[in-house]
Amino acid sequence: MLRSAEFRKGRESAWRTLDDFVSRVEKGGVRNLSADELQQLPLLYRATASSLSVARSIALDRNLILYLENLVLRAFLVVYGSRKGVPEALGRFLRRGFPAAVRGALPHIALATAAIVAGVAAGFLLIEASEAWFNALVPESMSGSRGPASTAAQLRDREIFAPWPGFVESFVVFANFLFRHNSTIGIMTFGLGIAGGVPTLLLLGYQGLILGAFLALHYNRGLLLDFVGWITIHGVTELGALILCGAGGLVIAEKILFPGRYTRLDNLAKQGTAAAGLAAGAVLMLFVAGIIEGGFRQLIGNTPARLTFGFATGVLWLVYFCYNRGGAGDESAA
Amino acid sequence: MNQRLDRINHFLDGVTRNRREIVTPEGVVLETDVANNGERLTAFLIDFLFWILATILLYLVFALLAVEHMSGAVASTIIFLFAFLLRNLYFIHFELTTQGSTPGKRIVNLRVIDRNGGPLLPGAIIARNLTREVEIFLPLGLFLTMPKIAAGWSFWLSASYFGWIVLISALPFFNRDHLRAGDLIAGTMVISMPRRKLLAELVEAQAKYVFTRSQLDAYGAFELQVLEEVLRRPPSEETKEIQRQICGRICRKIGWTGSDPSGDALDFLKAFYTAERAHLEREQLFGRYRSDKADQSSGRK
Repeated sequence: MLRSAEFRKGRESAWRTLDDFVSRVEKGGVRNLSADELQQLPLLYRATASSLSVARSIALDRNLILYLENLVLRAFLVVYGSRKGVPEALGRFLRRGFPAAVRGALPHIALATAAIVAGVAAGFLLIEASEAWFNALVPESMSGSRGPASTAAQLRDREIFAPWPGFVESFVVFANFLFRHNSTIGIMTFGLGIAGGVPTLLLLGYQGLILGAFLALHYNRGLLLDFVGWITIHGVTELGALILCGAGGLVIAEKILFPGRYTRLDNLAKQGTAAAGLAAGAVLMLFVAGIIEGGFRQLIGNTPARLTFGFATGVLWLVYFCYNRGGAGDESAA
Repeated sequence: MNQRLDRINHFLDGVTRNRREIVTPEGVVLETDVANNGERLTAFLIDFLFWILATILLYLVFALLAVEHMSGAVASTIIFLFAFLLRNLYFIHFELTTQGSTPGKRIVNLRVIDRNGGPLLPGAIIARNLTREVEIFLPLGLFLTMPKIAAGWSFWLSASYFGWIVLISALPFFNRDHLRAGDLIAGTMVISMPRRKLLAELVEAQAKYVFTRSQLDAYGAFELQVLEEVLRRPPSEETKEIQRQICGRICRKIGWTGSDPSGDALDFLKAFYTAERAHLEREQLFGRYRSDKADQSSGRK
């Protein structure tokens, strides 16, 4: 009798059992296995993996080797596969992954903030000196009816202290429009990180520029504080999210431009998940911002209350990012 | 190690795939077949179809339940939001719970794995699927909702969206592992993993035919595995004819002088397979692996 045939005879039943377990898990999840079978699974997997090593060195039966390779790979994916569902993974991401990703990208966040601040300063100085630039800088869809021709009274009554449009209109339509508009910009800021980071910084700067232009427009009409109150209420969350998207893009850009001791691909794989986590978390923040902006902004009718609310959201985000550190030895990024 | 099987796989299966080794935490090297672009596109289209169907269904349910109570703008925003949630949760849910496959991937036998052989973490799954938004859906949505493709500024804008889609979708064509941008970021790759069956053992003890050592030295592993494939074919007239021909060629090559085997070619071939495999496996154990009949490097001088 052949050595390889003997070898197969002795182990075939274990392979068949493993094959059966793996097929059942593939069909309907781990729940298809009893506790006893679940305990056997890793043992059978290891035994079969060593069978594969032996078969490769002693057998010339092609079907046998291909079968074992296939079986070990399938069992490997089952044994080391994720057993979490969406809610669990999402909860873990919100509790650990997202705050950890934010704390891990502080330099990038600083750079993204600097880009926005530079944009705000440039926009403010430009428009304060000459309002003719306003229409060139701010796209029509964003400015609405606001512009160099607007008077202080118009700005105050139609916008800053406009009446609340009602539940459905504000929470559903407007909030959703804002969310999609902002998340498009945010995701683009992140995605352009692939192009080396410069487009990300430019896009961030441009958003700052628009904000600066609005600030100057209201400053020239003596409405600066009211406008700041009006925009802080959601702007803290929104700008924060935009900065995080930009920071995610900058992380990607850094790993591509300066790979360090790993190859670019390996480096991207190591850090990319955290960077994508930044962007994904930021999109969730934008969702919150959209609801605040669409719904609550016009409900709170005076400037001090708005400033307080905006300040409070800022503090809440900071607390959220700093105090979700998780236990020792947890995996980073969800 | 398994480059030994590459030639025979190519010869018998007719496709060459890019392969990539992953090392499991136990230290076992596993060879994986990288999925083709065509397979990945097929899987994506199937999933895309499911998503569209689910969205339409949702839309119908929604229209039946609540159409009188709200305006068109409200309904369409809610649909947009649900479609967005549905498509992301669909991919993330299935890749999380079914070992890196979605219904579409399952039909085409594809799996998502970690490129370095580690466990596939939820973070990686979320990252690779959210990136799909940036890659395809976001620019596609912007491109399709452009009011009109006019000349001038808006033409260039829509052209840039379109260019982005083309550029990003072309990425899998330009790397060996057919990675898309989401795979790059998440450190994953997609492999093809059709299920294989363990077929019956072909080795049979018999005493009718006896072969000498020099006769068995005529062939190597490649020919042995071709013979294995021929013996495993489902029986038919055509198979019988092929087996008769092969039987004749083997007899000529090894200088068979015993009784004429052409009457029961299958028995002769099985006997020869058993003897040849026993011989080659013994030689391999002594460090004399013989890849094919032309391989003289390891034969006895």
